[in-house]
Amino acid sequence: MINLQDMRDTARNMLAKNEVRGVIGYRRSTNGMLAEPVVITKPEQADELIWDPTCFHNLSLYLVEDRKFLAHTRAKADLPIAIIAKGCDARSTVVLMQENYFERKDVYIIGVSCEGTGVLDERKLVKKGIRATNSAFDGDDFVFTTEQGEQRIPAREVMADRCLECRECFPKEHNIVLGEDKTGRQLDAPFTALKRFEELDPAARWEFWDHQFERCIRCFACRSVCPMCYCDECIVDSTSFPVTGQTTADEKANRVKWIERSATRAENMTYHMTRVLHLAGRCIDCNECERVCPVNIPLRLLNNKMEREAREQFGYEPGASIGGPSLTASFLDTDPGKFIR
Amino acid sequence: MEKILAKNKLDDWVAALSDWQVSAPIMEDDIWSYKASKGKVQLEHSNTVQPPKGFSFPQREVFFSFEQIKGQPPRLTPIQPKAARHAVFGVRPCDGAGAVRMDTVFNDQFQDNYYQARRSNVAYVGLACNKPQGINCFCQSVGGSPVSSQGMDVLMTDLGDRYYVAAVTETGKALMTAGGKVFGEPSADDKKKLKQTHADALAQPQRAINNVDAVPAKLKASFDSPLWEELARACIGCGACTFLCPTCHCFDINDENTSSSPLRGNRVRTWDNCQFPDFTMHTSGHNPRENQGARLRQRVNHKFQYFHENFGMSQCTGCGRCITECSVGVDIVNVVNKVTEHVG
Amino acid sequence: MSEQQAEVTTDYEPRIVAFLCKWCSSAGSDLAGVSRIQYPSNATPITVPCTGSISPNYILSALKKGADGVLVSGCHIGDCHYIEGNFLARRKIHLVKELLGFVGIEQDRFRMSWVSAAEGAKYSQVIKDFVEDLRPLGPQTKVKAGRS
Repeated sequence: MINLQDMRDTARNMLAKNEVRGVIGYRRSTNGMLAEPVVITKPEQADELIWDPTCFHNLSLYLVEDRKFLAHTRAKADLPIAIIAKGCDARSTVVLMQENYFERKDVYIIGVSCEGTGVLDERKLVKKGIRATNSAFDGDDFVFTTEQGEQRIPAREVMADRCLECRECFPKEHNIVLGEDKTGRQLDAPFTALKRFEELDPAARWEFWDHQFERCIRCFACRSVCPMCYCDECIVDSTSFPVTGQTTADEKANRVKWIERSATRAENMTYHMTRVLHLAGRCIDCNECERVCPVNIPLRLLNNKMEREAREQFGYEPGASIGGPSLTASFLDTDPGKFIR
Repeated sequence: MEKILAKNKLDDWVAALSDWQVSAPIMEDDIWSYKASKGKVQLEHSNTVQPPKGFSFPQREVFFSFEQIKGQPPRLTPIQPKAARHAVFGVRPCDGAGAVRMDTVFNDQFQDNYYQARRSNVAYVGLACNKPQGINCFCQSVGGSPVSSQGMDVLMTDLGDRYYVAAVTETGKALMTAGGKVFGEPSADDKKKLKQTHADALAQPQRAINNVDAVPAKLKASFDSPLWEELARACIGCGACTFLCPTCHCFDINDENTSSSPLRGNRVRTWDNCQFPDFTMHTSGHNPRENQGARLRQRVNHKFQYFHENFGMSQCTGCGRCITECSVGVDIVNVVNKVTEHVG
Repeated sequence: MSEQQAEVTTDYEPRIVAFLCKWCSSAGSDLAGVSRIQYPSNATPITVPCTGSISPNYILSALKKGADGVLVSGCHIGDCHYIEGNFLARRKIHLVKELLGFVGIEQDRFRMSWVSAAEGAKYSQVIKDFVEDLRPLGPQTKVKAGRS
């Protein structure tokens, strides 16, 4: 069991002793019982921090935002920034360091173990018809405060899919860690949802994805929330290409438009498939993209597919080590090549 | 025209609308969205994730197609939307109010033909909210009401086993006349019950924007407030809030080539989004709204100040979608309250 | 479906976009030409510096612009001008192929081959085979823009 007071004390002490610039954590939002990300910079703000089943956000995104902010303002950071990181958040932080987005010394990882549970999938709770005003961890259960009083639900019934299949709920990479290591507590075998989907024949799979891609409204929540989608230029924003005084009108007009603005099936599909391929070997299955999708496109299946290919064909595990090679910038002599004529 | 419709007669009414396309909220992919009704309409929805604005202002609208063959003048083929008459059932009052805002924008100094061609064929059959649809409803804070008929052609109120159906416009009357005998006459008791239901609905607790009349002036005074950046600190810069807003109407116009020789393509209007980093990007590379704080300020000020200055009403209708669907807790009610409480 | 079938049997000619590495396959295709080897003219070649330089984006983009099939061809393993480009391509292309199959796009629409500068005959065979395999699939409409 994680003691919230420990988390707050840790944050408070580090800020008070001027060991870190800020602490990226969770606080209560004004949207019902949900948590929201926050960056605290003063010791007295430490009591705002919370830890409950709605802390689903992958906070390593804010390490990226922090880096971008520093670069934009040309500020220099003498102190590291601290982050409250679950197992998945720690893995994506590792990928960011592996890609030299920042260095290990730039970040102080306050690991939190997800222990017996994971985090909540709000949609599953809504489906159960539960309107709660508060949520808390308790052993293998979530406890919700509702109008009818306290309601205890086994976590696995409303836990996020990714948590059910999580192989590493304990943040291996950390400076300090709160909670116990319960790795191996996995409730479903990895890729359970993926395997279920793959039982469909190609025609049915196509029908499924055709429908899903058509529904996309291109709000780019999936891209915006992804810590790995840190590119300054994204192929979907034709105008975010760097333009200088020397860029000619011709150059601007003749930029390759890989993807049009129209949210049609073909464009949406190209966007999502490009994104999936760009995340291959980098996505650590925090599944934030699927959570934030307002129209519920099951993006996790796509990312899972790539993750499993990487694992089974290339023996690659994303987020495993800071110094290791990246999936698509490395190779083995034994890589499969039978498909090549 | 005011009538009574037994709940089990709703499908009969829909069936009677043979020369109308009918859409209604349907639960699909775990979300409520407006879909073709296929003869069955059940109005048990909380509000839809996407507002009905797409019926008159689709995310993609082709203006004309073009073709340039060497040695010939370019050829333009205008494309007018061919919209069938469309009745949309189950529209909540906040979205009805949204339609009024959209109509105002697209008919103000310039009448947008594309919008109008679609809008004039859309009829909204509203459904009053007997209780708030979610924890983030605040329509009463922005001049709306959960039982308002603003923007509707017909307003229905759920009275348990029956609907109280009231026509609001001539189109609404036509819709009800088409139903003919499926409707009954309201009894004195029904009218009493309607009054009570509406009064109860108005008394339901909602979230609130404080001192809402003073908001436009206070926002004007807080343009340079450091709070904007602070409140947008968690914002990830996606466009969910505005794409799901019933009144956000910014758009972009692009040429989309379908062939390069000969040059062929379409000029297309697509929704644009003030939360995207490239929204106000200049050709020079300079961006006057260079951080998320400035973008949040734009969204909030447009709703609560600029729109107010231009049209004398708040653009926000209090549906709460932008709060509910925000993945990181950016909350427009909270933002407005926080920013304005710091001004005198 | 019947409409598509009819199209297949009449005068449907699959269009192939072939990304050929400058050092091997492009030269191989040249050799096929100067050797006067007969092979179908369905492939539009695009020369790239190395198969390792091919972004999955090229492949998706070709499909979006209406290609019925996409070929990626480069040097045999061990022969890469840049030592390891084709090793990297092999990995990347494997992922693309798997993803296309996963979403239900016919995997036969996408092919990779190793063709050296000396293998004009092989190049012609690769194209012949590809065209024959594409024919029964009919026009590619799944990723093609303008479908809706």
